[in-house]
Amino acid sequence: MKRTSLIPSSAWVFLIWLILMTLLPFTLILAMSFLQRSDLGTIVFSLSFNNYEQLLDWVYLRVLLKTLWLALMATVSCLCIGFPVAYFLARVQGPMKSIGLILLFIPFWTNFILRIYGIVSLFGTNGLLNQTLLAFGLSKVSILYTRWGVYLGLVYNYLPFLVVPIYSSLEKLDPFLREAASDLGATRFQTFRKVIVPNIKEGVFIGSLFVFIPMLGEYVIPDLLGGAKEAFLGKVMVEQFFVLQDWPLGSAIATVLSVLLLGALWLQNRWSQKNQAQSEGLFHAI
Amino acid sequence: MRFRNPLVTFLFWYGIVMLYLPLFYLVFQAFLENPNDWRSGFTLKWLVKLFDSSALWVPLLNSVEIGVLSATLAVSLGTLGAVGLTRIAQFLPPLIQTLILLPILVPEVITGLSLLLFFLLCRFDLGFVTVVVAHASFSASFVYFIMVEQLKKLDPQMNEAAQDLGAKPTEVFWKITLPNIIPGLMGGWLLAFTLSFDDFLISFFTSGAGLTTLPLKIYSLMRIGVSPELNGLSLIMICISTCLVLMLISKEQSRKWVLKG
Repeated sequence: MKRTSLIPSSAWVFLIWLILMTLLPFTLILAMSFLQRSDLGTIVFSLSFNNYEQLLDWVYLRVLLKTLWLALMATVSCLCIGFPVAYFLARVQGPMKSIGLILLFIPFWTNFILRIYGIVSLFGTNGLLNQTLLAFGLSKVSILYTRWGVYLGLVYNYLPFLVVPIYSSLEKLDPFLREAASDLGATRFQTFRKVIVPNIKEGVFIGSLFVFIPMLGEYVIPDLLGGAKEAFLGKVMVEQFFVLQDWPLGSAIATVLSVLLLGALWLQNRWSQKNQAQSEGLFHAI
Repeated sequence: MRFRNPLVTFLFWYGIVMLYLPLFYLVFQAFLENPNDWRSGFTLKWLVKLFDSSALWVPLLNSVEIGVLSATLAVSLGTLGAVGLTRIAQFLPPLIQTLILLPILVPEVITGLSLLLFFLLCRFDLGFVTVVVAHASFSASFVYFIMVEQLKKLDPQMNEAAQDLGAKPTEVFWKITLPNIIPGLMGGWLLAFTLSFDDFLISFFTSGAGLTTLPLKIYSLMRIGVSPELNGLSLIMICISTCLVLMLISKEQSRKWVLKG
């Protein structure tokens, strides 16, 4: 039939584009991570794991641990601030639900750089906070250009990305579960702890991973809010490309981050399949 | 049923206020006589000055041109993919599904770096063209998913009827399929334009030295420090972004993607 012969050819344009513009560049990064840089800054074609071994060097390991700690704190803070927001959105009914979601998302479609600039104008040397402190006769505080600046930037920028997975896990929850729990005499807190939390914990964990891993690769936030002294994994990675001209080492860091992300994706798929199987099993039982 | 739990409601509004506070202060700052002092009184002179200078128009024009071109490219590619794959979308091997999802899932830093490496190794000159191509490379997948949904809604019998009446496959596409998916095309184009207009990181990596887009200009001014020019540009950028998002939300096809972030 003629119709079927048209279909794949049009799809191939898209697929070849993806292979060329997405898959090939990622493969280049992967390949680059196994090459070496000569002392002159040129790339030497000798395959080895040297770059990965170099990452286990104390210099980089310290950066890695510092980054992991900061990103972990930021993710936990996002969870604490984001959970009530998601809970409210999932429970509220009527127009308030869509208004709330839109309110949550408009700031996150304003430009990323502007969101960072917003933080600078509030917490910067002459920002609103310091102006207010001075007006009350107090001395200025310097939050920016320390690790706390990076922390603030991470929390502010990633909050909605964590609200969404929590929100959707809560939405999927059967409302009758809560009713059943309260009919059986559970208090609100017991319902929350024994019914809601166990049912959403996987979704929340995966959502946190998808916030935590990209945080590690963040470049602009530590660059603009962290000052020159603060070492951060993503910043170190980009500097390998632009400042130190060590593409192979930069590629090795990018590869590690990508592998972590693929791991999270795999975990998500496995869990969602398991959940599907469970609900199907339930279906058959009925 | 109304939701009543004052603590959760309070925490929700607290979160929302915290999200908006920096942005409101940015807008406020743009009207200040002295941007470093919020009691210095209001003025429009900085904005008037900005509208007369090339500091606004050159980057703005670049951003719009890049947005239009890359959105058009992304819509063409994504639609071609969706037209071909919609019917078999559920049976696609996981490898191809991952390939399509890859540009959406991978953090922008890594996409940007990998594209930079690719362009440099191919010895392309970094500039306008590479930015357009790079933007299209990640927004095409968004368009693809919007178009798949739009195409699924089409009645397959319409295509069959056209064929029974003697239309060739290309004719079916141009006369039946295309007019019916125009709302999706518009939603997808707008989403791709917004993604491109707002993008900083990928432009940063693939633009080389000469080209400035609006976000790149704001970034370079930010490195110098707070200035009236920077505040004015931020105000304009916030206004355009907000309009784009509101337009995206008003369109059924793209609303879902706004809420996915």
